Amino acid sequence: MATQLWALAAASAVVLAAAGLELWRSRHARARAVGLTATTTAGDIEPYILYFTGENCSVCRTHQEPALAKLAGVRIDKVDAIAERELADRFHVYTLPTTVVMSGEGKSLNVNYGYAPATKLERQLADARGANLRVSATA
Amino acid sequence: MATSPRGVVDHSALKVNQTGIVAIVLVAFIGSAFFEPALVLIPLLAVVLLLGTFAPQLALFKQLYFKVLKPRGIVRPRVVQDRPEPHNFAQGLGGVFLLVSSAFLLPLPVVGLALALLVAVLAFINLAFGYCVGCQIYFQLGRAGFIKATPGTTGTV
Repeated sequence: MATQLWALAAASAVVLAAAGLELWRSRHARARAVGLTATTTAGDIEPYILYFTGENCSVCRTHQEPALAKLAGVRIDKVDAIAERELADRFHVYTLPTTVVMSGEGKSLNVNYGYAPATKLERQLADARGANLRVSATA
Repeated sequence: MATSPRGVVDHSALKVNQTGIVAIVLVAFIGSAFFEPALVLIPLLAVVLLLGTFAPQLALFKQLYFKVLKPRGIVRPRVVQDRPEPHNFAQGLGGVFLLVSSAFLLPLPVVGLALALLVAVLAFINLAFGYCVGCQIYFQLGRAGFIKATPGTTGTV
């Protein structure tokens, strides 16, 4: 029984360490990716989403794309993270899916590494619209 | 939504596979506390996973799903546009980890059991949350150029 308990403790320690590392990595990547710019269509004022995906990403198909489909009227730019590696590296995409909420001016406001539910994206888009309004009010 | 040509994967078969992995490892782990030979389930599971990776017709849990659970309506199919390669890679990786775990079971049982538990934890995370760590490793290897990954579509969803 002692062997099983030690094994359980060792496995738990590895899981906790991996979870901590993942948390640190996502925070670190997010801190570097927020505020970056990407090309945007002239005249766009509405926030949009950069959606990093890949041919081999299952969660993209089963979770992320249905969530994105719920966002009516929002421009979503789908980017293949392997084919467009330069852009993916710029946003420190280390996992798929990754969604980046961009302001109308093409500045990244929120970066979600991993699956982001529709409610979270809607909230981030609402914040982005609010920021846009504040900018136009002070301009 | 733009789609690119790709295969389909029955995710219910994957879920049955993950359930099988979690169940067998737990039986081996708990059982070994009372009956040590129960540990033999771990190398057996490693063999099952590795065989299933290279010869899908030998994938025990998937065959259980396709031959028994699905025809009898016990588990409903959930076919999704997807590629099977990352899932096979993840299964193979699980098999390799269990093989290493098996090698440690006699000389260092704590290490062997801990490795087997980690495989069960990863299978459970995939089962419960849909997050496939093996698939993420497959993506990283594709990015690094170790695995030939087919680029998908780029455009507006």
